[in-house]
Amino acid sequence: MVRKLAGLLVTLLATSFVIFGASYAAPGDPVTFLAGGKENLTPEYLAAVRAEYHLDDPFLVQYARWLGDAVTGDLGRSTQYNDQVFDLLMARLPSTLGLVAYAATLFVGFGIALGVLAAVRGGRTDSAVVAGTTFATSVPPFVVATALISLFGVQLGWFPVMGGGSLWHLTLPAVTLALGALAIISRVTRQSMVEQRELDHVTVARASGLSERLIVVRHVLRGALGPIVTMCGLVTAGMLAGTVTVETAFGLNGVGSLLVNAINTHDFPVTQAVMLLMVAAYILVTTLVDLAQPLIDPRVRRRA
Amino acid sequence: MKKTLALLGLAALTAACGGPAATTKAPDPATLTLVDRTPKAAGPLDNAVWLLGQEPGTLDLDLDGGTDNRTVMANVCERLMQTQPDMTVKPWLAEKTEQPDPKTMVLTLRQDATFHDGSPVTADDVVWSLERHAGEGKDESDEFEDVQSVAKTGDHEVTIAFKRPNALFVQALAGGAGIVLNQKVVDGLGKDFGTPGHEDACSGPYRLKEWKSGSQLTIERYDAYWNKDVKPLTKTVTFQWADDTALVNSLVTGAAQGAYLSDTGPAVAPQSNQAVSVAYGATTRVFVLLPTDRGVMKDARIRRALSLAVDRAGIAKSGFAGLARPWKVPVGAGAWSYQKEAFQAAYDQLQGAPDSPRLEEAKKLVQEAGSPKEPIIVATNGEQARTVIANAVVDAAKKIGLTAQIKTVPASEFGSFYTDESLRAQVDLVPDDWYITKSDPIGFYDNGLTGSSNNWVKFSSPEYDELVARALSATDDAARAKDVIELQRRFTADMVWISLVEVPNAVVLGSKVTGPPASQVNMGYPWAADLGAKG
Repeated sequence: MVRKLAGLLVTLLATSFVIFGASYAAPGDPVTFLAGGKENLTPEYLAAVRAEYHLDDPFLVQYARWLGDAVTGDLGRSTQYNDQVFDLLMARLPSTLGLVAYAATLFVGFGIALGVLAAVRGGRTDSAVVAGTTFATSVPPFVVATALISLFGVQLGWFPVMGGGSLWHLTLPAVTLALGALAIISRVTRQSMVEQRELDHVTVARASGLSERLIVVRHVLRGALGPIVTMCGLVTAGMLAGTVTVETAFGLNGVGSLLVNAINTHDFPVTQAVMLLMVAAYILVTTLVDLAQPLIDPRVRRRA
Repeated sequence: MKKTLALLGLAALTAACGGPAATTKAPDPATLTLVDRTPKAAGPLDNAVWLLGQEPGTLDLDLDGGTDNRTVMANVCERLMQTQPDMTVKPWLAEKTEQPDPKTMVLTLRQDATFHDGSPVTADDVVWSLERHAGEGKDESDEFEDVQSVAKTGDHEVTIAFKRPNALFVQALAGGAGIVLNQKVVDGLGKDFGTPGHEDACSGPYRLKEWKSGSQLTIERYDAYWNKDVKPLTKTVTFQWADDTALVNSLVTGAAQGAYLSDTGPAVAPQSNQAVSVAYGATTRVFVLLPTDRGVMKDARIRRALSLAVDRAGIAKSGFAGLARPWKVPVGAGAWSYQKEAFQAAYDQLQGAPDSPRLEEAKKLVQEAGSPKEPIIVATNGEQARTVIANAVVDAAKKIGLTAQIKTVPASEFGSFYTDESLRAQVDLVPDDWYITKSDPIGFYDNGLTGSSNNWVKFSSPEYDELVARALSATDDAARAKDVIELQRRFTADMVWISLVEVPNAVVLGSKVTGPPASQVNMGYPWAADLGAKG
């Protein structure tokens, strides 16, 4: 456990350095954004702004200053919002977490159900599920978003076209986000189930006269659960970093749009904090999946 | 990405609406009528949802006076002077300004104005606020370059001494430089002033109610407002922010009641929709080409030739969906807050920037300049308007025997042309939009001064410099207008910048509301006070 924690810290530290370096090296000068209107861009004014934000300090000095503050719990103030980075994050996290949780519920529920259906029924149902999910993965999220908004938001008026705050608001964005993932999960489920069905213990169970429903639930699905859970975890972790398209399309103010905005305006403190948060969340989710594996699959426990 | 989304959104939207209304035919730029105000509101309104392009970064306008920040705070904070919807300026928190001599300005303050905490607006607050605006690195500090000192000279009197006369300062007092803040409140909040969750320090008809960082910002009518002549009909205004597509969808579905648009893209779809109305107002905003002195643009004859050859009407049509008009000077007509006829007459006489190309004249100029073979590099950041302009330049150049190429730079780098000389050294022309916050063209023409940071082509004329100084110190409007018109003539004769199209201010309103001004005063005039229900 201690080793895992140390590994996590080292990863975060390395990531922070890479991110800081990358945003430092990105084209464009932060001072143009800090200075506000173009009317203001006199050399004296720019020099004053540069001094205020320590922009002329060497890269390592800037990084060390940021790291020193971060270790003491001070993530700094956003250069764009002038607000504490911590407060900015706290205000936007619920939106993004809510969206990912909602989407995860959808893709896990429907994804596994469709996968099981395809594996158990086979034949035409199987082909229909595979074709449908293949189509779903091939449509980019912003196209799905546009279609959903114009149909359910603008034309039918069932759902709000922008903003967050309630499940109702989050439904269309969550569906958009879940659609691609749903296809992946249903296919992993289908594949894993098909493999399990060929195994000896299932044949034995079937020979002993157990009902097909029990066989599917107790033996096939249970055995297939390992890869499914791993994949669900990975997809969810990936979503935490990938909500930006959906947030933009639906006017949701979450962490994703905060990050893109911060990158575009060279808002170093915010970029750093959001990226680190995303990396940390990714590590956290994948660690949780790792820890959950032995509980699902006794064979893993024995090996461990 | 954002633009693709917007376009797709518009496409989907028009497809979804179906029928003839969906064919968004570009309006004829020539028939675009500008109004100061939308029709007067008749009844009260409990709440209006108003959309911004972006969440305000801070509500401390001394730190950042961005468009969205100002649009919100125009209702909350008041200035010593106030710009009206017709772009004229009138006394406000200062009931009178006098200039006993050109280097002295005496402000007589109103005695009945109070801040939102109930305390009176005092001369001390005014002095402190002006000194804060003038501070190093503050957004409005450039307005105070000519100011020697600000002092309280009576219970309700503040005297400003100037190093040299500055006729523009009255205008500046109607902008961010004239905002009066409650010193007690600002000092009390320290660095947190202007961030979410904190009170405002102003005296306007609305006050900050709540700012939920990341989701919305609400202002509410201040019922103890000192000026009983102002009767806001709308109780609360909730600001939300969205990109183009979400903005259009919200207005069309009635989820939001209005927005001031800085981009013409989203104005196209609502134009053809019955549920919303779009009104256009005066602006100072103009799309221009900023030349550098790197290559062929150094020659004024080439700049003049290009100006004659570029298709302004075409740019207005395809780059701005017709929601712009060809324009000959670098400042919009919204800047003509005085001597309007004189400015209009002078404008009409200008010949160097025609609506449609005058190729023969242009070709002659190119020949005179020795028909240079070096290609012209024109920059774009990939946005539609800039790309259309860049292509128009390539087309114009080809028709008059020059060659031009487009160079695309990342959007995040585009602003650096103003600060980074090495980046500027890679291009010959930068298309950009410009506006000035003071409705006086002299606020622009100092960009043509020898050594000005925005004078990239290194235009230099001692007479021009003298004229700028004289106009800046001319407190008589007619005399100043005369100098400004001469400056305009010289600036456009040599095409220090090449003016292209004027983009009017646009306000989009849902079917149930009306009242706010359409002109570019949404950044300094309490427009929400005029908003109300339709009769």
